[in-house]
Amino acid sequence: MKLYLQVAKNTWDEMMSYRFNFAMWRLRNVLQLLTVYYLWLAVTPQNGHIFGYSRSLILTYVLGASLIGSIVFSTRTQEMGDNINNGELSQFLIRPFGYLGYWFARDIGDKLFNVSFALAELTIIYFILRPSIFLQPNIFAVLLTIGAICIAVVMNFFLGSLLGMIAFWSPEVWAPRFIFFTLVSFFAGGLFPLDILPVPMQRVFAFLPFGYLQYFPLQIYLGKLSSNGLIQGFCIALVWCLLLYFLVTWVWRKGLRVYSSEGN
Amino acid sequence: MVIQINHLTKFYQVHQKEPGFAGSMKSLFHRTYYDAKAVNDISFEIDEGELVGFIGPNGAGKTTTLKCLTGLLYPTSGQVSVLGYTPFQRKHEYLKQISLVMGQKNQLWWDLPAIDSFLLNKEIYEIPADQYNKTVAELSELLDVEDILQVQVRKLSLGQRMKCELIAALIHTPKILFLDEPTIGLDVVMQQKLRDFVKAYNENFNATVILTSHYMKDVEELCRRVIIIDHGKILYDGKLANIVKKYAKNKSITVIFEKPVTREKLKQLGEVASFDPLKAVVIVPRDKSNYVASKLLEQFPVEDLNIEEPNIEEIIRDVFANQASSV
Amino acid sequence: MKRLNRYLIIWWKLTLGTTQIAFQSRFGAVLFLLGKLLRYVFFLLFLVLLVNRAKVIAGYTFWEIVLFYATFNFLDTLPQFFFRNVYRFRQQILNGYFDNLLLKPLPSLFHPLFGGSDMLDLFVLILSAGFIIFAGWHSDHVTVLRVLLYILLLMNGFIISLGFHIFVLGTGILSTAVDNTVMLYRDLTQMGRLPIEVYQEPLRGLITFVIPVGIMMTYPGRALLGLLSWQGVVIALVFGVGLLFISLRFWSYALRHYTSASN
Repeated sequence: MKLYLQVAKNTWDEMMSYRFNFAMWRLRNVLQLLTVYYLWLAVTPQNGHIFGYSRSLILTYVLGASLIGSIVFSTRTQEMGDNINNGELSQFLIRPFGYLGYWFARDIGDKLFNVSFALAELTIIYFILRPSIFLQPNIFAVLLTIGAICIAVVMNFFLGSLLGMIAFWSPEVWAPRFIFFTLVSFFAGGLFPLDILPVPMQRVFAFLPFGYLQYFPLQIYLGKLSSNGLIQGFCIALVWCLLLYFLVTWVWRKGLRVYSSEGN
Repeated sequence: MVIQINHLTKFYQVHQKEPGFAGSMKSLFHRTYYDAKAVNDISFEIDEGELVGFIGPNGAGKTTTLKCLTGLLYPTSGQVSVLGYTPFQRKHEYLKQISLVMGQKNQLWWDLPAIDSFLLNKEIYEIPADQYNKTVAELSELLDVEDILQVQVRKLSLGQRMKCELIAALIHTPKILFLDEPTIGLDVVMQQKLRDFVKAYNENFNATVILTSHYMKDVEELCRRVIIIDHGKILYDGKLANIVKKYAKNKSITVIFEKPVTREKLKQLGEVASFDPLKAVVIVPRDKSNYVASKLLEQFPVEDLNIEEPNIEEIIRDVFANQASSV
Repeated sequence: MKRLNRYLIIWWKLTLGTTQIAFQSRFGAVLFLLGKLLRYVFFLLFLVLLVNRAKVIAGYTFWEIVLFYATFNFLDTLPQFFFRNVYRFRQQILNGYFDNLLLKPLPSLFHPLFGGSDMLDLFVLILSAGFIIFAGWHSDHVTVLRVLLYILLLMNGFIISLGFHIFVLGTGILSTAVDNTVMLYRDLTQMGRLPIEVYQEPLRGLITFVIPVGIMMTYPGRALLGLLSWQGVVIALVFGVGLLFISLRFWSYALRHYTSASN
């Protein structure tokens, strides 16, 4: 356990050592948020609704999506692919700890870093822009939201690991990840809530993992789900987690075989 | 005089970070810098056709000096003049006459055949077609790479790659050739080939060659003149042969004995650098070397005896050590 | 003239080389292309959904919004074709390749800016040009003068982009923070997917005049629709040329402070 803590701490240190890079990247996050925020502000009438969202709800959604995004999407799994490609994986395999556990610990370090700054930025933005925010009174709903976020974190880790493990079979590690990012940026709910899509599309996306990364936790928080919706959502999310877990371990085993047979 | 350097100085600002978490938070807001003096007031002149070697330990300032001479770095102060140009201005007429080859750094396109990179350089340096063909033919024959010019560079061995890099660097037949650690990472055979090649280039084209190296063999074979640099300052600038005379105070005598001898008896004649009952190395002052040699032959059952100048490397190490101790 | 010819030949050779190399990893190249196309199509679909419900965004109708998006598209793709190499700059600084570039008798910015064009990007570029024509066709109040103004301001947008990229390169020399700086540029310009009237003050003023995204992305469309005063045009051009000038000075400054990779 201590080892994993140290790994998380080292990741933190690494990130701090590049001061300018770090300022740039935080600025980028703020800009991306502001772009979406203003877009929705412009299309939602002052006292009306669009797609069933009042101003207060949609702005809460946008800010919430940004916060959840910083928790769920910050990851180091892209380095996994580089690791495999340049043979550094071998060094890890002889060390006495779980490889996936190591990467998850790195992810946590990355997430902690991201979240602390995201929270600070969101607070500043809130005080400057003063949007009216929806605060969920139901503690139980908040707890469920947190639960859904945890599931999302695990899901994204598995997805990221799968993308990283492509490196066992192909030197192309960035292209598939780029496609994944593109899909996530639209269908995880960061840009718009998925319920603005035509109903047939919504039905399809309910069964895909993307929506559970940002949209589902937000829907719980905003109280937009019936108890049926909650149960269905959690079930599908958990099924995906399990599926991805088995997929990851299976691909890992297969990948290792390929890796060692190439004389690494 | 093709190269003239006057009081060249180059400082870098390096950031000091305190260790630990507190250190990294602090460095977000306030940074302390110190000046790293890479080159600290050096001056020298080099004439056309000279072959000069820069020697010094890592971080001495050799590479920094070369980079100031080729226009890569902007001097903190001082004047640099090469072929009448100020290198940092990067005038195209100047750049067309020089070349810098850096040991491990590649300019060839990795995923394409070497010939493609040559053709690109032909356009960049505005080399007329017939001159280009002639140069490529000559150089590739000299370096024996005619067959591999059409092969992807990534598929070549290190030696072949090095040769192609060399051709790419010389395709415009530069008047001044700067070589930064050219033999690093090469096997012994390749090192020798490179030295022969550089010598031939210097002689055939009357090109001025400046090289930096760790390997004394490079310097011994190629350079009559050496400049020793340490901590950004010039310690010595002159003939290689004179270093030996100036700094080498001792000679070493290697003796092989027919029968085992004792160390104590040997110690009477001079300092025993290495000892083994049948073989020993004795260090003696230069002027006494002949005397000691004859004494050895008298007093010991000697099978073979050899008087040697100390290794240039050792001499130079001593020069640095003296410098360090006098600082 | 002869000099320009020489630069063109060298650029062409570099582009051919880059394209050949990209072709060697076709799979990745095609995936990237696919990703870019998907991104454009998805956002368009989003816009359609949005305007369908909202009818008017910041005073603009559907086809006008599409025109702004198409303009953004083009001004996003054009620099990506020409300035691809900027994305490789950090690597080239770290592994010392930039030293090799500085030794060549070429302008120091030539290779870092123009040395890495991939002809596959032309495909997206042509599509986006077609998209502009399609959107413009459906717009009202279009006259020949306005079309000319539009083209002029497009070119100005390209000049602004050039200035930005030079600035990014300069940052790369001083701090190797190129990746984030160039992505910052991308994020800023992404704000131009919609007309900047969407954004409220003071943000709108900031991204029009301080970081001229508005001038780059929104002004051309406004000119085409007859919504830009001649003063606006002049301001735009002054900004474009001014930014380029400042960025070139910054680049000279950066070169003087270049420290070069150690061995």
